[in-house]
Amino acid sequence: MQHIDPEHHDGTSDATPGGTENMRRPGELIFGVVMLVTSLGLLWSAYGISGFEALSAPGSVPMATTLAMVISAALIVAKTARLPLDTSETLSRDILPGVVLIFAAALVGYGILLKPFGFLPTSALFLIGAIKLLARRGWGWTLTVALSSLIVIWLIFRIVFTVLMPAGIVPEAEFIQFFRDLTNGGDA
Amino acid sequence: MNFLTVFTQPQLLMLVGLGTFAGVYVGAIPGLSVTMAVSILISFTFSWDVYPAISLMIGIYMGGVYGGSRTAILLNIPGAPSAIATALDGYPMAKRGEAGTAIGVTTVMSFIGGFIGIGVLAVAAPVVSDFALKFQPRDYMLLAILGILLVGSLSQGSLLKGIFAGALGIAIGAVGRDPLTFTERFTFDFRLLEGGISFIAVMIGMFGVSEALLQLHHVDKDAVRQKINRIVPSLSTVKKHLPLSLQTSTIGVIIGALPGTGGDIAALMAYDHAKRVTKDPEREFGDGAMEGLIAPETANNSAVGGAFIPMMTLGIPGDAVTAIMIGALFIHGLNPGPMLMIDQPDMFWFIVGALVMANIFMVIFGLTGIKLFTKIVEMPRSVLIPLIMLLSIVGAYAVNNSITDVYWMLGFGVFGYFMRHYGYPLGPVILGVILSRLLDDNWRRAIISEREDLGRFFEGIFTSPLSLVLFIAVILIFVSQTPLWTRGKRMLLGRKSESTSK
Repeated sequence: MQHIDPEHHDGTSDATPGGTENMRRPGELIFGVVMLVTSLGLLWSAYGISGFEALSAPGSVPMATTLAMVISAALIVAKTARLPLDTSETLSRDILPGVVLIFAAALVGYGILLKPFGFLPTSALFLIGAIKLLARRGWGWTLTVALSSLIVIWLIFRIVFTVLMPAGIVPEAEFIQFFRDLTNGGDA
Repeated sequence: MNFLTVFTQPQLLMLVGLGTFAGVYVGAIPGLSVTMAVSILISFTFSWDVYPAISLMIGIYMGGVYGGSRTAILLNIPGAPSAIATALDGYPMAKRGEAGTAIGVTTVMSFIGGFIGIGVLAVAAPVVSDFALKFQPRDYMLLAILGILLVGSLSQGSLLKGIFAGALGIAIGAVGRDPLTFTERFTFDFRLLEGGISFIAVMIGMFGVSEALLQLHHVDKDAVRQKINRIVPSLSTVKKHLPLSLQTSTIGVIIGALPGTGGDIAALMAYDHAKRVTKDPEREFGDGAMEGLIAPETANNSAVGGAFIPMMTLGIPGDAVTAIMIGALFIHGLNPGPMLMIDQPDMFWFIVGALVMANIFMVIFGLTGIKLFTKIVEMPRSVLIPLIMLLSIVGAYAVNNSITDVYWMLGFGVFGYFMRHYGYPLGPVILGVILSRLLDDNWRRAIISEREDLGRFFEGIFTSPLSLVLFIAVILIFVSQTPLWTRGKRMLLGRKSESTSK
């Protein structure tokens, strides 16, 4: 059977490991070692649940699964270490470029600001910043696209799906009530 | 009869239609996947009644599996994993100016495949669920392991990474208090972890945020435009390829019905089959052969019906999307498995009805609105990526109104991003999370019933034909990855080719 990696379905994706299966991507070994160390830590934690008390003890499946993680992670590290490094790639360009770091930081920032500021201002800030950075177009275009998409998203999720996001500094409920009163007043 | 519910209630009909329409576009837009859409959607529809929520999700699923083929044909970028094989011959056809023909044939064949899959689901699921009542806890446990291993070994190639991902998923699913003894597991004395990690946060992070981060690498890539001619295919074309489409639909439904394998693998296997059985293709495979387009498209849509068989009858997902659908049913208080089929057959027949309707909508939307379609898929990634991220955050927050879930989602998003880069499959993680409880419960039931005796447990496996078959299948997956197996296969195939050449 022809092997194509379905996880990386985008034909242009550079996520196909190292371009070839027989090369080690930058940072792959470190990731493997981190996985191995984490697995060992989890195995220790799983042992602490109920030790070897009984086969049906609450810790038995966690121990078995973390042991499987340790063994597979160790074999992966051993296998990866034997592969030659793909010198055509670099960590900063192909794995973790600046734009990914900026977005990861922006997402964390979004999470921090969501509760105190509320959904609408935080999302507006995020969308404007993100679209401006990625599209590199004028402020007029960026603001129009960002704010109109935000309004559509808000209307769909607030009205259709009735999802309640943190209101923060925007008096969302009063705003909706105002429009309800307006329409009710119109009916009467 | 509940099969007709979806046809008679305008609201449900509209939701299936809306879902299918959205699914076609979600599937088609590179960077948006059906798995991502359904996982985000669960969080928004969890407060709805179960029927409307399921109607919408089934529409998206069916439409999305089909929609992936569009960009595979037009841009050589499969919009969904199940359309990878479609690009191999679809794009060469489009380059020759036959994009319309390719889209039309794909739509009709997906429709035929979809119906075959649903037909098999309707006939086979009640039989399988009767049979499933005879399953012992150890059989469920073995089935769960088999599902995780299959998705790990077939989807990625590296079984080791698949095992790691599957085991990680089971461990994530075990976080929190053990439901039987209330013992804390992997909580590290954090109160926040006592309730476990929301599987929706894991799913959205892994499929939504990680994909969006990955797409950041391709922001500047321009879309290629293709001219589109006549779409509706001639009857003679459909008739000519009907035998092949029936064969590949059968492959699709069987592969779909195996726990852990879905449309992506079905499509690749069907493509392989078409290559072997087509004696004189009008064009070579890979150069725009019609058969190379028909095979994967019938198979991936028939796999949808197939994937629902283990999901509805055993509670074991057929692929990543049905794993998420199981999650959706859990949220609505339903527990898929043989008892659901017996206690609430109406739910099963409702799902069959919704699938039929989604398939009909798919062919309608597939053969119309091509101009609107080309406009929407050309949406720049610079807008699409921030929107996916925003939707992921809203989705993760919405379920429990919890910022902690958002952090989990972001954490798993970043983790999933690295996993994708280094070739670790994400499917087994999700299957592991969903099946963790089932595996744990059934292992404990099985071993308690054997009085904690491992010898008796294995004796039970070797004396029950079903358990034995499942056990051998699990062992075979491991053996198939060893160098000994590869050498043996090469020797066998080598001899075979020698004898044929003589």
